[in-house]
Amino acid sequence: MKILGLILLFLGFFFILIAAVGVLRLPDFYTRLHASGKSETLGMLLSFLGLALYEGFSLTSVKLIFIVVFILLANPTGTHVISRAAYRAGLKPWMRKGE
Amino acid sequence: MAVETFFLAMIISLIIIIVMMLFRVFKGPSVYDRLNGLGVIGVDAILLLVLIGFYNKREDMFVDISLAYAILGFISMVVLAKYIGAKGDSDA
Repeated sequence: MKILGLILLFLGFFFILIAAVGVLRLPDFYTRLHASGKSETLGMLLSFLGLALYEGFSLTSVKLIFIVVFILLANPTGTHVISRAAYRAGLKPWMRKGE
Repeated sequence: MAVETFFLAMIISLIIIIVMMLFRVFKGPSVYDRLNGLGVIGVDAILLLVLIGFYNKREDMFVDISLAYAILGFISMVVLAKYIGAKGDSDA
């Protein structure tokens, strides 16, 4: 069970690394928000589930599951609030040239 | 012992990722890019706190700190987005 937890933790870290590279390298605000909104949420979810499996059944693992549920609710909500504020302020999405 | 080395490597890599995000926060073209970078840093810091707790074998204390940090980061991000969206950004 501990080995499975460490594998999940490493997989989650891989997705967090992909989210960081996407936020640094993508060309536009909305695409950067896309990278940090979905990949970051999946990485955090896998990492905390892995840590809860590594811990075993105790009060700490219940709190870790609670953090997972909170991030699953809060991170897409925060992304949506930022993108709505940017769209209302008139930030244009990135287009291919000629469209 | 090997597990603690794994935790230490993940802690150092997360610190490197947070420093990379600071580049986006300082450079970002619009104010919403800076806000996005701050949100990513806040979410990464939750995992960093829990990993520091597992490395020091005090995870029962650090889990509470990271839970409070998650709630505080979410509320501050929503309030900042509402405030900047109502006021209008000054740079960009």
